[in-house]
Amino acid sequence: MEIQFKATRSVHFLCIRSAIIYLYLRLPELCKGHCLNMSSYPSRQIQQLETTCGSLLSELQKIWDEVGESEADRDKMLYDLEQECLEIYRRKVEEANQNRAQLRKVIADAKAEIAHICSALNEDLACARQSARSLKEEMEAIAHEVEQMQEKKIRRRNEIVEVLDQIQAVSKEIYSPEDESHYDVILDETDLSLKKLEELRKALSGLQKEKSDRLKLVLDHLKTLDTLCLVLGLDFKQKVAEVHPSLDESSGSKNLSCDTIERLAAAIQSLREIKIERMQKLQDLGTSMLELWTLMDTPMEEQQMFQRVTCNIAATEDEITEPNSLSSNFIKFAEDEVLRLEGLKSSKMKDLILKKQLELEELLRRAHMVCEADSAKEYSVEAIESGALDPVSLMEQIEHQIEEAKGDAFSRNDILEKVDKWLAACEEECWLEEYTMDDNRYNAGRGAHLALKRAEKARAIITKIPAMVEALTVKTTAWEKEKGKEFLYDGVRLLSMLNQYSVIRQEKERERQRQRDQKKLQEQLIVEQEALFGSKPSPTKNIKGAPKNVAGWAARRFSLGGIMLQTPMNEKVAVCSRPTRKIDLLNRKSPLNYNQDGHSPALSSGKRKENAGRPIRKHSTSNANAHRAEPSVIRKPFSPIPSATISSNANITNTLEDHEKNLMLQKTNISNGTPLAPSKLFPVKEVTETPRTMPNPIPLTPPTVSVPMQTATTMITPSVLYGATRVDDIPEHIELSFEERRAGFIPPKPHVRPVLQL
Amino acid sequence: MTAAVAPVAGRELSNPPSDGISNLRFSNHSDHLLVSSWDKTVRLYDASANVLRGEFMHGGAVLDCCFHDDSSGFSAGADNTVRRLVFNYGKEDILGRHDAPVRCVEYSYTIGQVITGSWDKTLKCWDPRGASGQEHTLVGTYSQPERVYSISLVGHRLVVATAGRHVNVYDLRNMSQPEQRRESSLKYQTRCVRCYPNGTGFALSSVEGRVAMEFFDLSEAGQSKKYAFKCHRKSEAGRDIVYPVNSIAFHPIYGTFATGGCDGYVNVWDGNNKKRLYQYSKYPTSIAALSFSRDGRLLAVASSYTFEEGDKPHEPDSIFVRSVNEVEVKPKPKVYPTPPA
Repeated sequence: MEIQFKATRSVHFLCIRSAIIYLYLRLPELCKGHCLNMSSYPSRQIQQLETTCGSLLSELQKIWDEVGESEADRDKMLYDLEQECLEIYRRKVEEANQNRAQLRKVIADAKAEIAHICSALNEDLACARQSARSLKEEMEAIAHEVEQMQEKKIRRRNEIVEVLDQIQAVSKEIYSPEDESHYDVILDETDLSLKKLEELRKALSGLQKEKSDRLKLVLDHLKTLDTLCLVLGLDFKQKVAEVHPSLDESSGSKNLSCDTIERLAAAIQSLREIKIERMQKLQDLGTSMLELWTLMDTPMEEQQMFQRVTCNIAATEDEITEPNSLSSNFIKFAEDEVLRLEGLKSSKMKDLILKKQLELEELLRRAHMVCEADSAKEYSVEAIESGALDPVSLMEQIEHQIEEAKGDAFSRNDILEKVDKWLAACEEECWLEEYTMDDNRYNAGRGAHLALKRAEKARAIITKIPAMVEALTVKTTAWEKEKGKEFLYDGVRLLSMLNQYSVIRQEKERERQRQRDQKKLQEQLIVEQEALFGSKPSPTKNIKGAPKNVAGWAARRFSLGGIMLQTPMNEKVAVCSRPTRKIDLLNRKSPLNYNQDGHSPALSSGKRKENAGRPIRKHSTSNANAHRAEPSVIRKPFSPIPSATISSNANITNTLEDHEKNLMLQKTNISNGTPLAPSKLFPVKEVTETPRTMPNPIPLTPPTVSVPMQTATTMITPSVLYGATRVDDIPEHIELSFEERRAGFIPPKPHVRPVLQL
Repeated sequence: MTAAVAPVAGRELSNPPSDGISNLRFSNHSDHLLVSSWDKTVRLYDASANVLRGEFMHGGAVLDCCFHDDSSGFSAGADNTVRRLVFNYGKEDILGRHDAPVRCVEYSYTIGQVITGSWDKTLKCWDPRGASGQEHTLVGTYSQPERVYSISLVGHRLVVATAGRHVNVYDLRNMSQPEQRRESSLKYQTRCVRCYPNGTGFALSSVEGRVAMEFFDLSEAGQSKKYAFKCHRKSEAGRDIVYPVNSIAFHPIYGTFATGGCDGYVNVWDGNNKKRLYQYSKYPTSIAALSFSRDGRLLAVASSYTFEEGDKPHEPDSIFVRSVNEVEVKPKPKVYPTPPA
């Protein structure tokens, strides 16, 4: 800078140079860390620039000298030059400043981003950057950090999303679509912390456990269902498909919703009920089968066929596991068998009734009583065949008659013996009479001595007859008195027989007397005639008719056997009169037997239990009979074995089952009431925010202590200071801002609702 | 409230308006500051140089103003007019008129339109490039449920707060109807609404010492983040004295925000971490308006009586410009009570 200038000009130059150099020197400071790299402008270049400036100035000087510019112009030009330069520098500085602000903003944004991510991840901020470094370095570092954090966030987010997806998938499987929203977990972008992740994982594992539990439950249910179906002979697949189609597939996922499980349980319950019902039916069948077998002595090999029915007779519900043992076919099979046995039993019953009837008739005949059941026999057979009459009751009735007949026969025995003797005596008497009348009786011939002996005996017996008759009459009268009824002998009253006999006998006596008188007279006559004429007439021809009379009567007695039975008149009387009398009797005795004429429904059941009600016989024959029926604990033939023990057993098992069922119900209730405590599995999202009123634990530098905001709501206190004075001409109820009031602005349409009374 | 108070209120600008300051704003390009006032003026200051660069006189009180670019701006007047101001030439022309005083004005860089809200219950959009005259500049008129008190822009979103606690959120690309119609979550008259610089929501202040932080995202997760907090209150003898919150200003870089209330305090808050970062020393009177410079290194504070208690003697209106220390506005991340697992 050897060139000489004028003082003023040199001042300008100095000014320009110093300005340039000053700005130039400031630039690196401004550009520190900015995009402009000052190192590419070494001081050598500044030097060069300086010399170029100097040479240019000197050239300008020369030109001006040559042109002869005035000093003022030169000064003006230099001043302009200076101004232009300055303007350029200022612009550059402005740009650099702008740039710096931009960089700061970028860094601040990045830091905010990091802070945001950190807060989301619930992590400590990475240690604060040294701000001593240049902004550019800082920006690079922070950009890198942001990238890392973002990567981390994305990773964490993906993890959480994955877990959430799994939760969603599992809960979808477990819960029906209606309450899906319950577990429709949304991703909370602001909370991506490990804790949250851990919580979600825990929730997931809880859900998975529940899922496996449910799967197990469903499989259990399916197994139960399968065995039930097997036992009941139902189609398992169809049953399962009814509950939910997905359960049918052996592989693949099964629907695990509560609804499905409930329906499964319900299906099992209903099947179990069916099973119990069928089981009871089968057991009933088995019981009756056993009874029938014992009644009819069914051979073992026939029983063997139904071993499967009877083996379960005392089994409880869950003991019956054999396939098809409760299928409807099998029950039908058992039912058929029972029906067949019943049929068999009733036909046998008929035979038996007939046999008994014969027995009764025989008994009656022997006791010389009139058989009254002969018509009833046909009646009963017809009734049995038509099903109108219960063979059992008929049987009982016949039995009873037999009993009665036996009793009667016993009481009559004494008299009957005497009657027999008497009749035998009468017979002998008859014979003797005939014998006496045989004129050739003393002829010596074969057996004549026997006849003589018999005659001798007969005469002895005959002498006893009057006493016999007397005794018999007394006895019979006593009997009749005792029993209050007539003593009938083959339908005829014995007393009248005796009377008749006595009368005949007296007649005979008289006849004999007369004969004796006549004989005496004749003998006297003969003696007189012999005395006169000397000859004697034979007396025998005159007394021939009378003894025949007695003998004929006796013959009639002897031949009674079945003849009496054929007398239609007697029969009719017996049939017609008896029922009415019996009814009268019964009516008098037990007015409760109102339904004796009607069909008692209780009677028609062969398997009726003894305690089901007292049997009332339609054809009960007497009062005594009805009485005897009362203590009806005695087992009658063909009546079923009182199944008290069995039924009580069954009752016990039933109650046990009921109890079990109740327990089960309770269990299901419990499990329904508290569905596996999902709240435990899904803990309520913990509030991870810091409490708003949390005091800052670490006091920072005093001037910058940050105070938490008061975000709690408080009621406004009446002591609001603002708006103490009012502008008078403004209606009070209009909401106005301070500006409106100041401007005196009144809205054209008054706003009615005062938001704040000022 | 024991936070240490900065000793200096900042540099006070010379030549302040002579009456209540309605709003002030920093330029997006320089440290120029535009100030509107009840004294019917709009003034342009160079804040760093503390120089009054220009002044526009209007026919009525000016209720709001904003920049267009560094050389021009707009004003909203109590005389129902919207004006365009060109600073270099001191020129002004009328963009259009409302039927009532115009309460607020915004310029949207994204659609290149001026949006004004007025007490005539309408919102109007203007195209400032059109020739002068309402018929050429007016783009659309959108009626509002009530008188418009405050509007704010971010990106394509426009939030309009009106009397009756209505809040409408518009998408500037489809102004035919609001994108969202809301009711203020605060119980009392809305004073100011400002969008977050990151465009996710807005802050809303009321006359009852409270600020609500709201979010545009209507999903449950989005709405669960919203909250409100109390501020600008004074506890005296067990009674809360509640002051209106006149102004909210967001820091352009850090996203933290300052609130100014009738108690004369300016508080700086960290909305994300729900912390108050700083409280500046008390200003002489109510804080009418606040603005951060484009790089967030300067904060302009209008300390000016806002007529909350009617016409009364009050401190002179003044504008303070203070340089902002990073520590005052930088968010402090949450401190976790337990170390992360």
